This record gives sequence, C-alpha cells and structure tokens, in this order.
Amino acid sequence: MEHVIETFSLTKVFSDWWGRSKVCAVDNLNLKIHKNEVFGLLGPNGSGKTTTIKLLLGLLHPTKGRSLIFGGDSTEPKVNSRIGFLPEESYLYRYLNARETLDFYGRLFDLPVEVRRMRIEALLDMVGLKAVANRAVGTYSKGMARRIGLAAALINDPELLILDEPTTGLDPIGTRQIKDLILALARRGKTILLCSHLLADVEDVCDRIAILYSGKIVTEGMVKELLQQTDKRQITTGLVSDAVIDKIRQLLDSSKTEYSIATPIDRLETFFIRIVSAAQQKVHTPSGAVSTTKLGDFLVGQPEGEIKAGIIEQLASKEAEKKSVEQPASTGTVNKPAEVPLPVDHDVLKGLVKPREPAKPVAVKKQTDEPAEEVRQINKNILDELTGSPEAKKNKEDKADKQQGG
Amino acid sequence: MRSIMAVAVNTIRQILRLKIAVIFIVLLAVLLPVMGLTMTGDGTIKGRLQTFISYGLSLASLLLCLLTIIISVYTVTSDISGRQIYTVVTKPVRRYQILVGKFLGIIILDFVLLIIFTGAIYAITIMTPKIAGVSDEEKTLLKNEFFTARQGLKPEPVDVSKDVQQTFQSLVQKGQIKPEQLQDEQSRRQIIDDITRSKELASRSAAPGQILNWQFKNIKIKSTDPNTVLFIRFKYEVSVKPADMMVNSLWEIGDDRDIKLGQVPKTKIYQLSRRDRIQAFHEIAIPADAVPADGYLAIGFINPPQLNDTVVIFPPDGLEVLYKADSFSANFARSVLLLFLQLIFLCCLGICTASFLSMPTALLCCLIVFATATVSSFIFESFDTLSSGTELFYRFTIKPLLHILPQFDLMNPNEFLVPSKLLSWSALGWIVFIVVCVKSLLLFLLGILLFSFREIAKIIV
Ligand SMILES: Nc1ncnc2c1ncn2[C@@H]1O[C@H](COP(=O)(O)OP(=O)(O)OP(=O)(O)O)[C@@H](O)[C@H]1O
Ligand SMILES: [Mg+2]
Repeated sequence: MEHVIETFSLTKVFSDWWGRSKVCAVDNLNLKIHKNEVFGLLGPNGSGKTTTIKLLLGLLHPTKGRSLIFGGDSTEPKVNSRIGFLPEESYLYRYLNARETLDFYGRLFDLPVEVRRMRIEALLDMVGLKAVANRAVGTYSKGMARRIGLAAALINDPELLILDEPTTGLDPIGTRQIKDLILALARRGKTILLCSHLLADVEDVCDRIAILYSGKIVTEGMVKELLQQTDKRQITTGLVSDAVIDKIRQLLDSSKTEYSIATPIDRLETFFIRIVSAAQQKVHTPSGAVSTTKLGDFLVGQPEGEIKAGIIEQLASKEAEKKSVEQPASTGTVNKPAEVPLPVDHDVLKGLVKPREPAKPVAVKKQTDEPAEEVRQINKNILDELTGSPEAKKNKEDKADKQQGG
Repeated sequence: MRSIMAVAVNTIRQILRLKIAVIFIVLLAVLLPVMGLTMTGDGTIKGRLQTFISYGLSLASLLLCLLTIIISVYTVTSDISGRQIYTVVTKPVRRYQILVGKFLGIIILDFVLLIIFTGAIYAITIMTPKIAGVSDEEKTLLKNEFFTARQGLKPEPVDVSKDVQQTFQSLVQKGQIKPEQLQDEQSRRQIIDDITRSKELASRSAAPGQILNWQFKNIKIKSTDPNTVLFIRFKYEVSVKPADMMVNSLWEIGDDRDIKLGQVPKTKIYQLSRRDRIQAFHEIAIPADAVPADGYLAIGFINPPQLNDTVVIFPPDGLEVLYKADSFSANFARSVLLLFLQLIFLCCLGICTASFLSMPTALLCCLIVFATATVSSFIFESFDTLSSGTELFYRFTIKPLLHILPQFDLMNPNEFLVPSKLLSWSALGWIVFIVVCVKSLLLFLLGILLFSFREIAKIIV
C-alpha cells in the first residue's frame, strides 16, 4: 500500500544553548501512514506530537533518521503544495482580515484568481466567518482565529491534511464540523494526520491511532480493534412496550449473562447543537463566528448537481474555469442549510449517509417538510455509525445493510 | 513570482501597520517645509539653498536609513517570533523567495518614500528663489554656481622623482650624506623620503615673488551659451599666518601656449588680483571663452612680494577647475539614486542579520555597521595613522572588514549637490556595482543561506 507519510527512526533531541542535550522529544519513530487513512496521534502533554509534525514539515531538522511525505522531501514545493497544515496555535498576520488572510495563502499556493475567490467564499461560509470577514484577525477570539487557521489550511484542497489539535478553542459545533470535515475528506480519498487530546473526537473519526509517550510509540493499531470489547453485545431498538422488554429479559436470563436495560440519553453534543442552531435563527448579525455544519463544496466534492468530481477537478480544466465564472450561483446554495431549523447537521449527515443523492437544493427543501421523527432516525443512524467501525464508514451508501454493534 | 509578490505586498502592509513608518513620514513632512522657510545659511540665496539641500537631504537620508534598518529587521524577526513563518514556509514557497519578497516589499516602500521626500526637497529648492524674489544678477549666479552640475578637474600630481634623484646625487657629491648612511638601506630611504616630501611641498608653494603654474587638458564645455563660466576652486595654507588671515594674489588664466612661442594668443587671457581668506575654499569665475577648442587651460598664480610676506601653499587637493557638464536636475536624480543604493545595502544587511539573530541583536548589529559606514573615511584615516605599531595586525584583520562596508560618507549626495559637483553616470555605475552587485548581494546571499538552513521552529532561550 502506498505510504503518504513515512518516517525512518526519526529522532529529535533538543539541546540547550551550550549544545548539551536536554530533551529527547521524538525517539526512533517509525510511522507509516497509508493513503486515504485518518490517522490519530495521541499522547499526553509533551509527548512529542507537535515535534513530530514539525519534523515532518521541515520546521525542525531531525537529529537522526528521516521522514518522507508523498515519497519526497516535505520542503519541496511539489510536495508541500499538496499539504494542508494547521499549527498548534493560530499564528496569523494580525493586521490582515479574514479574506486577506485566505487570499495571501491562496497566492502562496499560486492559485489562479477565480479559484481563489471561489474557495475563499466557500471556506468563509464553511467556518462561519463571513459576517466578520472584514475585521482584522488580530481582533478575533481564540476559536474564531482557529477557524480562520483551519480555512487557511484548506485553501489548496490538500491531499494530506495535518491537524495539530484542531479542536482546541472550538465550540462543540465547530468541533463537530471538523469531524464531519475529516470524514468528508476521507471519503474523497484524502489522508489526514490528526493530533488531539479529545479522545472522543479521535475515536469518532480515526481509522488508526498511535499513542506516543515521551517520544516513543507505545501502542499503534486500528481504532476498531483497539476498542472492540469482544465479550459484549449491544442492542438498540425503537420505543417498544414493556411486554417486549420483559420477553427480552426472560431470554437474557436464560442465557445467564449480565445485562442492563436503560433509555439512552442524548449526547451533550447533539443537545448543544440543537440549542445553538435555534438561537441562531433569532440573531441575524452575530458578533462571533456563525455556527454552521456545512462544509466547503469543493472540499466535500459535491458541487451543485455534481457528485463525483469535485470543483477542484473541474477547475483544473480551462472549460470549467469559464463555467464557474458563468455560474456564480454555484456557491449560493451553500447558504441555504443555515436556515434549516432543528438538526443543523442534517444536511451534512444526510450527505454522509447518501453521498450519491442527486440535486442538493431539493434535499434541503424536503428536509423542512419531513417529519421530525424520520430526521431523528437518520441522525441517530449516522451518529451510531460514526462511533462504530471504520469499515462501515466506508460503505455508507447502503443504508439498509447497516449493522450495529459489530 | 506570484508568491514572491504576495510576500512583498504582505510585507508592505506589515510595515505600514508599524507606527514607526508613519512617525517618520510625519516627521519629514513637517520638518522639510519648516527647514525650507527658516534656513538662511550665510545670508545669500545660494548659501540658503545650499544649507537647505544639505540639511534636508541629510535628514531624509538619516530617517530613511534608520527606517530601512528597523523595518527590514522587524519584518523578518517578527514573523519568526510570532511564528507566522510556520504557515508560510510550509507552503510551496522556497525560503529564498520569502526573503526576496520581503526585500522587494521594503525596497518598493523605500523607493516611494525616497521619491516623495527628495521630490519635496527638489521642489522647495527650485521654488525658493522664485518665492524669495531674487534679482537678475543673483539668478545668473545661481544658474552658474548652484543650479548646475560641474565637472571637477584636478591638476596631475607633479612628478618630482627626477628632481629628487638630482638633489640626492648632489648631496652625496657635496659629502653632506655620509657613506655609512648610504650603506644603510633604511636611512637611505629616509633621506629620499625627506627630499621627496620637501620637493612636493615646494611644487605647491610660492614664496613672495614666486609663480606657480598648472596646466589642464580636456576641459569639455558643452554649452554654447556665451554667459557660460568656469570656476577655479582653491584653498590657501600659509607658512606664517598674516594678522588679518588674508592673502593677496595675482592670477593669470588662459591659453598661454602662443605666448610661450612669442605670438599673440588667439583666446582671451584673464588677469585678476584678489584678496582671500586663508584655509577656506574660494572660487574664481572665468568666462568659458578662455578655453580654446582643444580644451587646454593654464593657470598661473603669483605671490605678489609687495603685498604678501608669507609663503603661500596649496594643499594637495587645493586647486580644481570646475565647469558645467550637466543639468542640476539630472545631477540631483543621480545623487538621490546614491541614497537609494545606501537603502538597498541597509535592507540587505537588515535581512541578513535578522535571518539568524533576534530583533534587538540584529538591530544593534545593523546600527553599528551603519554608524561605521557613515564615518568610514575617518576610521580609515585614524587607523592608518594610529596603527603604525600594529600594522600587520591591522592590515589583515580590521582593514578587510572595514572594506566590506560601503563608504556611506563617500556616497553622500551632499558631497555633490552642495558644491554643485557632477556625479557622472560612470562614477554612479561603479558605486552601483560595488555596493549593490557585490556588497549587498553577498550579504543577501549569506542571509538566504542562513535562513534556508535554519531550524525555523527552534526556540532558544
Ligand atoms: N524548541 C524546543 N526546544 C527545547 N525543547 C522543546 C522544544 N520544543 C519542544 N520541546 C520539548 O519537547 C517535548 C515534546 O514537545 P511537543 O511540543 O512535541 O509536545 P506535544 O506532544 O505536542 O505536547 P502538547 O500536547 O502539550 O501539545 C517537550 O518536553 C518539550 O518541552
Ligand atoms: Mg502539541
């Protein structure tokens, strides 16, 4: 299998001013990250996650060993034009506004002006900073700065996305959105390296993880395998009568295993998203970031009416360039989901469930008319799926075939 | 190219956000007109213009130099300490492109500021005589002596070696030099040096009643204007200072070759008597028709015995012929370019030091270099005289280091504009080559090298 990131006994020893070695931040690290894999790098504070990323990107020189990205040196423009990088903190030019920031990075990637303009608008929409896009980013709150940093990391539609604690400072909706984004990118065949302390997030999105401790990998493996409790089973049902429950109890009693039956409660995340999106309906000019769960069309690869080819692929050809200029409305549809009440993430989630579903705007219309129950149904399915096996994640088209709990 | 320009534009934005640029701009914008109105110089209109141009350009140059140092150091170090550089170097830009972008941004800004400020100085200089309402006489004087660019010709140094040999031989013959002195190489050299010095001095001095002669060739006066003049610029030293510090003189200026052959000269010979203060430069204006078509000119100086009783000595650079060779505007533009070269050098210096030092250290280094470059002639002179004991050490350590610096005091536009001296394209070209193509480029390449191999994310406390 093709490796996107490969390190060979990568080692970094930090020495002090006198050249005496002090910290071995990364110790003989052999990391292999495959194409189209969501890889989580975990570890306590100071375990060397950020240092590993800096080594990968050439911001630090390894004391020993080496690393390859796309089989080459990460400082080569050919290689790093395919990488998106979100550093640990948002290091931004404070005097630029959001739009100028994105434009600056777009220019560094040598993107033609139409592509830049199209992506900037899509990304601002995605990170919910359109309303404050003309304010200097130096005045942004921590989470807002994080959002613009994320948008900047995505401006080149990277094949490899390196995220160092992407969710710090983000509100739950932003966190959720990043997770959705990661999944959407993974579906498009992108590779993601994710550092995080929030285990729930990692668990939701990662295919494979490695746990670092003082620069060494202590555990590495598929999330599914690492977390599977092979001696347990879980059954989730709709609302059933007590009689049915009693029958199940009898069955379980006869099989002599320990069990518990309870009513599931909403996850706090889902609850928060619901409350905020209701509030968002009322306030029209927010002072901060607008919470959206929509993803940039060009990132999800589902522009209006198009399913397979992303806008980027389209823009690669000259014809498409003209097309995008002729149809400025293509980004317009992105606005609509913001007005959808109740589960805001519905649109995205639906996309996850049925990526081949045609004509998005129609779907948006339908959602508002659909009975709430069905909405919740889909919602629950996808949440279950997110927490479930990564394999299932990749076969999402087939809703009916889905099995729960392994 | 797009990425370089992106960095350049971002750098300009960054600098404009820095209040220091605004402060400097306001300072200049206020001070220049004030200086234009208040400076009087020695009371004459020419003196007033000379003072204004000299102080105005010095001020503009000092502020721009300091600004360039500060912003070039700041723009590199702040990106590194603020870590914005992490997000830039991980994009498909090479590190040298980042520095080139920064350089371009600074230089574009410098260029614009320089044009604005020197444009203002130029405008005020041109306008002052009109506003002050000068007489026609003063106008011609200004035209000839200030609003012009004069080529300067110095007499060729007199070859005294033959004379020295003769004197030496005669001294030997007369037995005034002892044989053992002849044997010893060092004392022999000493004697010859002494004789040379006295002969050279003699070639520049005139005792009362004596005459000094200089010949010039290749004086090419382009102008066909009958009012064109040429100037003889001179300075006196004396053996005994007269009480009133004044020296009387007689001058004969013109083509003397026909007279020597006993014929009537074809061009006019000008004779004048003067009374001038010692140890200061003076100028004699002579109509240009004194010079024949082939550009020959002889100057005779007579120390009148009935009026003076001291030996008059011309210092080594004490006499020069000046004539109009170009317009004031063109000369002004070239002199401003000279300032621009200084800024280019300082920008490269700032970027180079900032590529591996932190902001305060880099600033200090740049300021030291700037100060040293500004007084480089003085430093060279003092080291040359002081270092007799440590000659070898000096020659192989400090001197080469000093030579890496450009000599800003020789690149001072006032050296040319105040005495209205021509800065020729060829002279400018040479300075461009040395300062930009060699010194600045080397510094910049060094900066690129250090920056490219630097661990950007390394934190040293
Ligand atoms: N520039 C540096 N100089 C010296 N030591 C450093 C440097 N950068 C990191 N370290 C040390 O290397 C170790 C690993 O740091 P690193 O930033 O990689 O941790 P991390 O896993 O990202 O931690 P966190 O979860 O807090 O972000 C730490 O002990 C840190 O002190
Ligand atoms: Mg970290």
